Amino acid sequence: MVCYHCGVRLSEHDFCTGCGADVSLYKRILAASNRLYNDGLEKAGVRDLAGAVSALKQSLKYNKNNIKARNLLGLCYFEMGEAVAALSEWVISKNIRPNRNIADEYIKMIQANQTRLDTINLTLRKFNQALSYCQQDSRDLAVIQLKKVLSNNPRYVKAHQLLALLYIADEEWNLAKIELQKCSEIDANNTITLKYLQEVGRMMLPEDVNWNNGKGKGNEDIVRYMSGNETIIQPAGRRDFRILTTIFNFAIGIAIGIAIAVSLILPARIKAAQLEVNDQVRAISEEMDTKTATINEMERRLLGLTEENERLAALLDEFRYAEIDSETSDNLLLAAAALVVGPLEDDRESLLERILFYMDSVSHDELSEANPAFHTLYFTILETVGAELGEMCFTSGYDFYRAEEYASAIPHLLRAFQYDPENDEAIWLLANAYDRNGETDKAREAYAQVIEYFPDTDKATRSQERLVELNITGA
Amino acid sequence: MIKFEEELKKFHPSLEVEDAEEAIYNQDLTDMTDILLRMLGKAGNYEADVEDN
Repeated sequence: MVCYHCGVRLSEHDFCTGCGADVSLYKRILAASNRLYNDGLEKAGVRDLAGAVSALKQSLKYNKNNIKARNLLGLCYFEMGEAVAALSEWVISKNIRPNRNIADEYIKMIQANQTRLDTINLTLRKFNQALSYCQQDSRDLAVIQLKKVLSNNPRYVKAHQLLALLYIADEEWNLAKIELQKCSEIDANNTITLKYLQEVGRMMLPEDVNWNNGKGKGNEDIVRYMSGNETIIQPAGRRDFRILTTIFNFAIGIAIGIAIAVSLILPARIKAAQLEVNDQVRAISEEMDTKTATINEMERRLLGLTEENERLAALLDEFRYAEIDSETSDNLLLAAAALVVGPLEDDRESLLERILFYMDSVSHDELSEANPAFHTLYFTILETVGAELGEMCFTSGYDFYRAEEYASAIPHLLRAFQYDPENDEAIWLLANAYDRNGETDKAREAYAQVIEYFPDTDKATRSQERLVELNITGA
Repeated sequence: MIKFEEELKKFHPSLEVEDAEEAIYNQDLTDMTDILLRMLGKAGNYEADVEDN
């Protein structure tokens, strides 16, 4: 405590030892402020926040520089949910004493968390909005808004009181009492709270009071239960009806769900299944296309291989002809060469003998399997010199036949008819040679050839007669 | 019996954070010591005037 005039610390005397000013009244004022601060501190200690606020305000009226009283007033405001009022007191406190002041920590504590500050501000705005709703007689909206306020700041005494007032106005006595009890837990001796509690207690029925206090059984016809912060009161029989209603609503919900499933989900599932099937069909089609393409490729390759096989078979045949005709072709070619070159070197008879030698060496069995070109060459030679060769063979055969050497005559006559098929005398003598040599079967064949190749001739008639004779004799 | 309208008049809008500065500046911080000093000052002036006369 210092002198208001010179700033010297005051002693127990009623005057300043520094300047001599009368400080008796000044000291009484400061003492009264301190006394009120102590009173406020005691009330705050027993949660009589409203009383504490009142005492601390009085204390500050005596001495505005009572920092302890101002800081405690801020704390009381903050505890009651009046954050801005608390901040105001702390800011003033800090301005009066900038150093070694706990208000500085309180301010930093609030300002450090911007989210908390925003929440506080939002809560205050909602409360003001709820108050505005009340003034506009929109109680339902006010109740909703106040519930939001209290969910953000459950220690906001003024919001509890306003909500309780709304419940009282709506004659929701139990709910009002619950809110007021919450108020009492924060601020134990608030005048408004006590007033409302008295009103609620007066208006509530004795059984309601007993139920609320947990002392009585309550009315058996009434069922009460808590739903969150709400107390639901309803007739006892209503619960069964509600169960039936719940079951009925549940059944309706299931029916609606099934209808939605049928009308919305099922088509979507069907469509999805169809899309899946389409995808599978597409995949199978692609696979079939691939296999078809493979088959076509294989068929094409098979056709190519078949053609290649045929070509190779033909080539093989050519090689086979050449292999088979190797000796026969040599003789045939030598005969052709002799026919072409021979006239320039030998006379006609020697030439024919040489050609006859080569032609006799040609194997008719091999020639039948030979290349067609050799056939052509063979028959070309016969057309050129066949008659002359046949005549030479016939002459030799005829000589043996006249000498009755039939066995020797047969080869010559056979070759004579072979080289000159127009020679009817050769085949006729050949048939007779076979006949006289005892080769009856060959004789019959020869006679048959005479009849076939030279019909309507004397030799054919005679051959026919001889065949009849042979058949009769059975030789 | 509580009258809703009458009770509602006792509730006032809470100060929002934006209003805090204005509320601080407008707060009447005059206390008993200020009044005492003012009274002592006036009393001193009065005694001086009497002595001068």
